[in-house]
Amino acid sequence: MTAGAQLAADEVSSQGEVEELEGHFESLEQQAQAARLGMWVFLATEVLLFGAAFALFISYQVHYPGAFRQSIEHNAKVLGTVNTGVLLTSSTLVAGAVHALRGGNRRWSSWLLAGTIGLAFVFLGIKATEYAKHFAEGIYPGGAGHFFVEHHERGTAEFWTLYYLMTGLHAVHVTIGIGVLGVLLVKIVRGRIGKLSAHKLEVGAIYWHLVDVIWIFLWPLFYLA
Amino acid sequence: MISVAFPRTVVRTGAALFALWALSFALSYVPLGPAALPVAIGIAAVKAALVVAFFMELLHGTLSMKLTLLAAGALLAFLIGLMVADIATREPPPLVPFGTHAGRPTADLPTR
Repeated sequence: MTAGAQLAADEVSSQGEVEELEGHFESLEQQAQAARLGMWVFLATEVLLFGAAFALFISYQVHYPGAFRQSIEHNAKVLGTVNTGVLLTSSTLVAGAVHALRGGNRRWSSWLLAGTIGLAFVFLGIKATEYAKHFAEGIYPGGAGHFFVEHHERGTAEFWTLYYLMTGLHAVHVTIGIGVLGVLLVKIVRGRIGKLSAHKLEVGAIYWHLVDVIWIFLWPLFYLA
Repeated sequence: MISVAFPRTVVRTGAALFALWALSFALSYVPLGPAALPVAIGIAAVKAALVVAFFMELLHGTLSMKLTLLAAGALLAFLIGLMVADIATREPPPLVPFGTHAGRPTADLPTR
């Protein structure tokens, strides 16, 4: 592609933002579509990763319903429920941020994105409080700790090990999400991402929604049912 | 300004998610017995579907995106299906004396 044609293919917004067209794509729309599909393929692998863990949980639950019931009743139900509300709110905010950016409102989009990141930190804070509470009670992964001396019914250690494994894996995803959304926020504030490249925020937001969806399933399994 | 950032779809989806969140929490205090887990997972599935359809905008996504998710779902169903088949058809180990097969004594042991 010649320099002139490249300039014609790139789009420049009224705010001075330039969305560059890579040589291997025919149009900006095709480029955005490829980015979206790439994220969906990644999400498909995430579904399999967490799906296998969920299947493991359910099979142990079927074997030891009594021990699982008691363990759920022992878990920090209120903290888990508040955390669900925190993530649902953050998902709603980031969905709003995408719409604001598409509408060309970078400022409002940045605020909503900053709110999303703030709630992600709140989530991790509550999660840490919860872990600290369980550690103090002598509940560690793999059935270690004095809690399991009194609660030695088969299935109890399995429940708490899966609890740490699955919520821990989720917390890693939340941490990665903070990084991804943080980079996007900086780029939006600096004007590098705007209306023309709103799909970049969209792709990050889709990842964040997945983190929310995973928690939507973790919450009833470990705190409610 | 608010209407720019929060189109009706986002507001309605958010409200529906919170309604289901409250419903699920309230139901956790109702003794449903063995139905508790399926009911809770059912509500979670509805919430997840709302997020995927409206927040992740799969409803307006391309066929390639939908097929990608469908493939993941199909593989997951395959995995869970085989696990269920395994667990459902397991039998308790037969309680027989050492050196004998279940229900059929071996040739070198005296039968009673």
